Amino acid sequence: MLQELKKSHKKDFTQYILLDNKGNIIDSDGVFYSQIINKNISSLHPFFESFSYSLSIPKKELIFSCIHLNTDKGNIISDILIKTLDDDNALIIIQDLSTHYKNYQLTAQKRNESVINSQILELKNKYLKEKEEFKNNFIANFSHDIREPLSGISTFVEILNKTNLNAEQKGYVNLIYASSNHLKHMIEDILDIAKKEVGKLNLVEESFNLKVFIESLVLSHQVKAKQKSLDFELELDSKTPEFILGDPYRLKQILDNLLDNALKFTHKGEIKLHVSLNQIRANKASIHFKVSDTGIGIEEENFEKIFDSFTQLHQEHHIQGNGLGLAIAKSLIELQEGTISVTSIKDKGTTFSTNLSFKVDNSNPQKVETNSTIEIKGKKEKYHILLVEHSEITQLAVLKILAAKRKFYLDIVSDPEDVIPILENQNVDVILMDINLPKLSGDELAKQIRQLSDKTLKKTPIIALTGKVFPEDLKRYKKAKINEVVSKPFDEASLLNAINKHLK
Amino acid sequence: MSLSKKIVLLGHFGVGKSSLIRRFVEDTFTDNYKVTIGVHILKKEVEVTDKTIVNLIIWDLEGNDDIANTRPSYMLGTNGIIYVYDLTRPTTYQDLKKDLDFIKTNYANIPIKVVGNKKDLVTNVFLKENEDAFQPYTDFFTSAKKNTKVDKMFSTLAKDLIL
Repeated sequence: MLQELKKSHKKDFTQYILLDNKGNIIDSDGVFYSQIINKNISSLHPFFESFSYSLSIPKKELIFSCIHLNTDKGNIISDILIKTLDDDNALIIIQDLSTHYKNYQLTAQKRNESVINSQILELKNKYLKEKEEFKNNFIANFSHDIREPLSGISTFVEILNKTNLNAEQKGYVNLIYASSNHLKHMIEDILDIAKKEVGKLNLVEESFNLKVFIESLVLSHQVKAKQKSLDFELELDSKTPEFILGDPYRLKQILDNLLDNALKFTHKGEIKLHVSLNQIRANKASIHFKVSDTGIGIEEENFEKIFDSFTQLHQEHHIQGNGLGLAIAKSLIELQEGTISVTSIKDKGTTFSTNLSFKVDNSNPQKVETNSTIEIKGKKEKYHILLVEHSEITQLAVLKILAAKRKFYLDIVSDPEDVIPILENQNVDVILMDINLPKLSGDELAKQIRQLSDKTLKKTPIIALTGKVFPEDLKRYKKAKINEVVSKPFDEASLLNAINKHLK
Repeated sequence: MSLSKKIVLLGHFGVGKSSLIRRFVEDTFTDNYKVTIGVHILKKEVEVTDKTIVNLIIWDLEGNDDIANTRPSYMLGTNGIIYVYDLTRPTTYQDLKKDLDFIKTNYANIPIKVVGNKKDLVTNVFLKENEDAFQPYTDFFTSAKKNTKVDKMFSTLAKDLIL
């Protein structure tokens, strides 16, 4: 009974083939390949064509694992043993291990797919990173190249505005001024976003009068509000400290962006800036800033989205902008370890709030003049300025600014090699130095000056005029012992303030 | 005259060895990756001259990260080698020189063709930018998908086998 059951369920997994040393089949049990006696083994499958040489090697036993064969019984995955016998004949044993190998195949498929996918993902990430890096470098370089001509436009529009113009001409000049200012802010915004992306957005710390700062800041926004027939209200808490230590440029950017945003999306009603003191602890003041409007409002599902770069929610209103303002404001707030929150009701208005901490400055800080009526300090009747600059526009801009003050002699050179001979032959009080000079960079030239043997000459104050103001650039200038950096595009006040600091 | 020659395809997994063979032998292609375990053996005749036909017995070996781990029995009696790498995956060609040195040391005097596959997925600019990695060693840039230089690669090797 059992024998019969075994016989009926028995399945052969192995075929034996006997052949002579020329590959002719002498005998076989026909498990996978049937009716093959007297045929040549090479006719069964290409596999057997490949090893005829081994049949001539006496007493050799070869095992081939995991060979895919098409047989008379279908496709199998087998191990094949080939053994040459004493009588020069050979024995081939084909063992069907399909079940075992198919399980292995499933595992290998999963493993390989997972490895390939992770390698592809890694490459995609690398590609995206490189693309991002390229974009940021491109933006930084492009923005820098735009600064140079923009600097010329801004300066000459300022100068032109001081000449005798009729009302119509003044109107045109004001339009050029507003457009160049708009372009300048856009470039600054794009640069800041690029800096943020590469983690190079840094803060400076300087003392400033918060009340004066806020009042001066709201002045331009009040004008804009009036132009749109909107009310503008400032609530400034008298308990806020007078002088604080922080980055006034970045704080101005934050509040300008929030106020500009409010002005853009409000068509009736009012804009309000509220500044109050939360508390002072360990000489650190926490100050609350709140900008609210009665504008078109934002739907709650867009609260997060509005802080993304290049996001413009209300495109149907055709409002001018690059969609960077709120993204920059948020980045700058986060850089100062603050957070920004928004509440809004559709068609009722929006409020942005943030708390920022500043050290309280209890010293007696000097006032920095910011208007164009800057007086030139120092005891001398006239000062000798050497301008090293290859851009004719910048040369002319500096010349106009300094000439108006009637306190300077100005020498202009565009070739860096002329600088040291001039220093050795004339008493130069301050050097204004472009960085992007032909032949030799401004910082390299500064190093050469600092290495001069004459103690007076080597200490001549050097002010860099440059559009390259990334932190790594500033480090390089510091290393070259450049005293001051004026960023292009510069205005009259920033140039004169910088020069003033170094006049004796 | 007709000659039988055994050639093997080596390289990492997923580089397209099976796809190149399928394109050459059956003129078909699928985007679906199916792992090869062990070895598949296919055959195709190549007319190398008016009078000579080479019967290529093509061993499609399972991919291996380390060529030194290739089962020696698979390499027995090999007349020619095709080493395939994937142009889109640096891990498949970062040890190209080392792998080729290994082959030349262990299978001296066997003709070898080095193939960068999946050319359809990279640009000529990419090839130019990475020529230091590819150019000194690579004989063909192929695409099994687009049937680029597949026949040319096999027939060139077939010619080398009868020299």
